Amino acid sequence: MPLSGAFLQELEGIVGAGGLVRTFEGRLVYECDMHTFYKGAPDAVALPRRTEEVVEIVSLCRRERIPIVPRGSGTGLIGGAMAPVGGVMIGTNRMDAVLEIDLPNRCATVQPGLINLSLTRAVASRGYFFAPDPSSQMVSSIGGNVATNAGGPHCLKYGITTNHVLGLELVTGAGEVVRLGGKAADRPGYDLLGAAVGSEGTFGIVTAVTVRLLHAAEAVKTILASFTAIEDASEAVSAIIAAGIVPAALEMLDKLMIRAINEGTGAGYPKDAAAVLLIELDGPAAEVEAQGERAARICWERGALEVRVAADATERALLWKGRKEAAGAVGRLAPTYLLQDAVVPRSKLPAIMRELIAIGTRHRVQIANVFHAGDGNLHPLILYDDRSPDQLERAKAANEELLRACIEMGGTVTGEHGVGLDKAKNLPLQYGEADLNFMYRLRRAFDPDSIMNPGKLLPSHPACGEGFRPARPRVPDGAWI
Amino acid sequence: MAVSARSIGEAFVSIAGRDRVRDDTAALAAATVDGVQPRWAVRPASLEQLSRILALACDGRLAVVPRGAGSSQELGHPLSRVDVVLDLTGLDQVIEYNPDDLTVTVQAGISSGALAARLSPRRQWLALDPPGGAARTLGGIVATNASGPRRVRYGTARDLLLGVRFVQADGVVTWGGSKVVKSVSGYDVPKLMVGALGTLGILAEVTLRLHPLPEVERSWLALFENPRAAQALVERVVDSALQPSRLELFNARALAQASAESAGAGVAVSIGSVDEAVREQGERLKAIAESSAGRLVPLPEGFWGEVESAMAPLESSTVLHVASLADRLAGTIGAIEDAFRIVAPRAEVRLSGCAALGTLRVVVSGATAAETAAVTTRVRALVAEVGGSVVIARGSIELRRSVDPWGPVEPHALALMHALRDEFDPGRVLNPGRYVGGL
Ligand SMILES: Cc1cc2nc3c(=O)[nH]c(=O)nc-3n(C[C@H](O)[C@H](O)[C@H](O)COP(=O)(O)OP(=O)(O)OC[C@H]3O[C@@H](n4cnc5c(N)ncnc54)[C@H](O)[C@@H]3O)c2cc1C
Repeated sequence: MPLSGAFLQELEGIVGAGGLVRTFEGRLVYECDMHTFYKGAPDAVALPRRTEEVVEIVSLCRRERIPIVPRGSGTGLIGGAMAPVGGVMIGTNRMDAVLEIDLPNRCATVQPGLINLSLTRAVASRGYFFAPDPSSQMVSSIGGNVATNAGGPHCLKYGITTNHVLGLELVTGAGEVVRLGGKAADRPGYDLLGAAVGSEGTFGIVTAVTVRLLHAAEAVKTILASFTAIEDASEAVSAIIAAGIVPAALEMLDKLMIRAINEGTGAGYPKDAAAVLLIELDGPAAEVEAQGERAARICWERGALEVRVAADATERALLWKGRKEAAGAVGRLAPTYLLQDAVVPRSKLPAIMRELIAIGTRHRVQIANVFHAGDGNLHPLILYDDRSPDQLERAKAANEELLRACIEMGGTVTGEHGVGLDKAKNLPLQYGEADLNFMYRLRRAFDPDSIMNPGKLLPSHPACGEGFRPARPRVPDGAWI
Repeated sequence: MAVSARSIGEAFVSIAGRDRVRDDTAALAAATVDGVQPRWAVRPASLEQLSRILALACDGRLAVVPRGAGSSQELGHPLSRVDVVLDLTGLDQVIEYNPDDLTVTVQAGISSGALAARLSPRRQWLALDPPGGAARTLGGIVATNASGPRRVRYGTARDLLLGVRFVQADGVVTWGGSKVVKSVSGYDVPKLMVGALGTLGILAEVTLRLHPLPEVERSWLALFENPRAAQALVERVVDSALQPSRLELFNARALAQASAESAGAGVAVSIGSVDEAVREQGERLKAIAESSAGRLVPLPEGFWGEVESAMAPLESSTVLHVASLADRLAGTIGAIEDAFRIVAPRAEVRLSGCAALGTLRVVVSGATAAETAAVTTRVRALVAEVGGSVVIARGSIELRRSVDPWGPVEPHALALMHALRDEFDPGRVLNPGRYVGGL
C-alpha cells in the first residue's frame, strides 16, 4: 500500500527531511527485528524527537487509516517491530534523552529510545541501577523493554520490567496523550499502566517512561556448578528454592549447549558435564556469604561434579561469559535455529527436559538449552539448516509439540520475549474464547480504529473480531424478564 | 417487560439452593450497604453458580455488590442501587498449592488467615499485610488493592497476582494471566483487576506468587522529635545496603497508641534474612540511628499487633489513604496534622506510612464529615503538585457525599476507564456508580 506523495509531504512536515526514511534501501533496514524469519518493510519510517510530533503522526495516520508500527532498537525476537502490512513505522531512536533523575525518590524519567544500560550507567556512580536486565541491555531501548515487558537473568529476584515501571506517557491509537501512573504510588482508577506494559505497541506509542531505581547490592557472589545429569541440576534448583534462598539469577545450560560454548568461547566449562548451573546471589554481605555457602553445599549434595565460586568481578565475568555468548555459540552447531520462550512451573523442569529429548528424537532435530531455571523459563534452541525445507518443517513440528507440552504442564507460551507476530497463533493454546475476546476488547479501547501494530499480539481468531460475544451461561427458564 | 421479584428470587434459588439465597429481614439488614438494603443476599457455592447468578442479574438489570469479609464496604461513591449482595466467602477453597514453585491458586473468598495457615507449615507466605488482613478475603484485598508495611520489600497485589479467573457482568467466566511466576502471553489482565472493585468482573480465583518466610526477622524502633528527623533516618536507610522488610513511620499519636513510647515520630524497621545477616544489619542500623537525631529502642513486646489495632478503624472513624513522594513525607504529615488542627481541633489523627514509598494511612476520629472533607480537599491540593492522591478508604456516607472519595483522575485516563466500563458492563450491574468518576 504505497503512501501518497501528499501524505509523505505531510509526514515530512512533521519530522523534517532528516527524520523521514523513504528510500527502498533505507526502509529495508527496518523490515524485520531479530526474528529475521518474518519480513515486512514499512512504507516510510518517521523518527520523531518529541511527543507532539508523535501525536501529529498518529493523527495523520488515523485520518488516512494507515497502520503504525512502533520500533525501538529492533532487537525483539518475535516479529514485533516490523510491518507485515506496510504503513508508517515510528522509530524512537532520536527520543533518547534522560528527562529527570530523582534519587531522593529513587526514580528516573526517560524518553523511550534511551538504551537500557545507559540509564544504569547514568546512576551507577551514585550507587543505583535500573533492574530489568535483558541480555540485550546494551542495545535494546527502554521503550522496547516496556512494550515487551522484558525480563532478564536477574528478574528471578528483582521482577520483570512491569515491576519497575511507575509511569508512562502514551500516545494512544486515538492520538490522545495519556499519562498513566507517575512517581506517586496508588493512583485511583484502573491500573491502565499495568495493562499498557507488555502491550507491544498495540495500545499506542510510549513517549516517556518513569522507572524505579534500586540501590545496588553490597555484595555479589557467583557460583558455577556442573553436574553429570540434568536431573541432578534440576533437583539442585528445587532444593535451593526450598531452602528459602532467592538467588538474583539461576541459569542452566545443557550438554549440547556446553559443548557449543566450550568450542566457541573457551569458557572452560567441564567437558563431561551434562548440565551447568550458574547461581548468582546478591544483597547484604553477610546474607550473600551464608546463602552462597548453603547453595554450594546443596550442589555438592546433589552430586555436583565441580563447584566454582568466583573470587572477584573478573572471575565472575568469566563464569558468565559462556552464558552470555550462548546464542552466538550455537552458530557452530547449525546455521540457524528456532528460539522458544515457554515457561513451565519450576518443579516440572525434569519432566519437560525428558519430554524435550523425546521430541527432539522423534523429529530428528537437535535441541540446545540455555534457560532461566529459577523461574522455569525455557529457551530451547531448535537447530536446523535453513537450506533444507525438510529440516525447517521438522524444527517447526518439534517447536509446536514442545509448546503444547509446556502448556499441558501448566505453563505459558512466552515468559519474556513477548508474542508479536510469531506467537500470536499460539495464544489459543493457553486462552479460551472468552479470554481472547476480553483482550481484544481491551485493545479496542486504546486503539478504536485498529491502526496500532496490526497483526501482532492477538491471533486472527473469531474471538478477536468485531461483534463476537463468548457463550454465556444458561440461566433458568422463567418469567422474570 | 416488568421484572417480577418473586420469580427472580426463585431463579436464584434454582441456581444456588434455598439456603444460599436469603431475603429475610435479618439477612438483608446484615447485608445493607451504604444504607441501601438489597433484595437478596446470595452466597454462591461454586464458580458455576456465581456465573449463572451474574448472568441472571445482568438479564434482570439488577445491581450486584460483591462482598468478601465486608471490611471495605464504606468505600467509594455511596451506592444508590443495590439489588443483590453477593457474599463470596463460600468460595474459600485452596485449588492448587505448589510449594516447589512458590505459587498458589485459591478461590477468592478464602481469608488471608486461612491461606497463611495452609502455607506456614512449608515456611512460605503471601507477602501482603494490609490492616485487618487475617480476616479479609484474598478477593477483597486484591479488588481494593490493600497493602501494608511489607510493600516496601514485596510490593503490592499487582506484583504478586499472576493469574485471575473472574466473572464478567454478563456471567461469562474469563481467565487472564498465567499460573507460573513469569509470563508475557497476551495483555496483563490480572493488573487490570487489581483495585478495580470488581467493576470489570467479580474475582473468583486468584493465582499468587509466594515467598519463603525469612529464617529470622527482627525489628527495631527509632524515636525522633519530629517527622522530619524520622524522614532523614529513612533516607539514610534507603540509601544504604540494608534491605528492610518493613520501614514504617508513625506520628506521635499512632506511636503512643501502639507502644508506651512517647516521641514526636517513630520509625520501625524490620529485617528478615539468615541469622548472621539480621544481626549484622541490625548493627548497621544502630550505627545509622546513633549518628542521626534519634534513639533506637528495643521493639516493645507485641508492637506490630498493637500497630495493627492502632491503625484499624474504630467504629465511626475515617481512613484516608494518602500517596505523596518519599522526600515529601514529613511535609505531607505536617500538612495533614496542621489541616486537622485548624479545621477540626478535637480530632485524633493517627498516621502511619510506608516511608520509602511516600504512602500514608491516616485514621481519624472525632472529626465531622464536613471537617474531614475540608481536610481532604486541602491535602489533595498539596499532593496534586507531585501527582499524589487522597482516597477515602473508609468513610461515612455523608463524608463520601460531600467530597469525591477518590479524587480527580487524569481526564484522558478517565475517558479510557469509561470506555472499558461501557464495554464490559454497559448495564452497570457491578457496583454501579461506586468507582472513580462515578463509574
Ligand atoms: C541477543 C539478544 C538477547 C536478548 N535477551 C533478552 C532477555 O534476556 N530478556 C528479554 O526479555 N528479551 C531479550 N531479548 C529480546 C529483546 O531485546 C527485548 O524484547 C527488548 O525489550 C526489545 O527492545 P527493542 O528496543 O529492541 O524493541 P523493538 O524490537 O524495537 O520492539 C519490540 C516491540 O515493542 C514495540 N515498541 C518498541 N518501542 C515502543 C514504544 N516506544 N512504544 C510502543 N511500542 C514500542 C514494537 O512495536 C515491538 O512490538 C534479546 C534479544 C537479543 C537480540
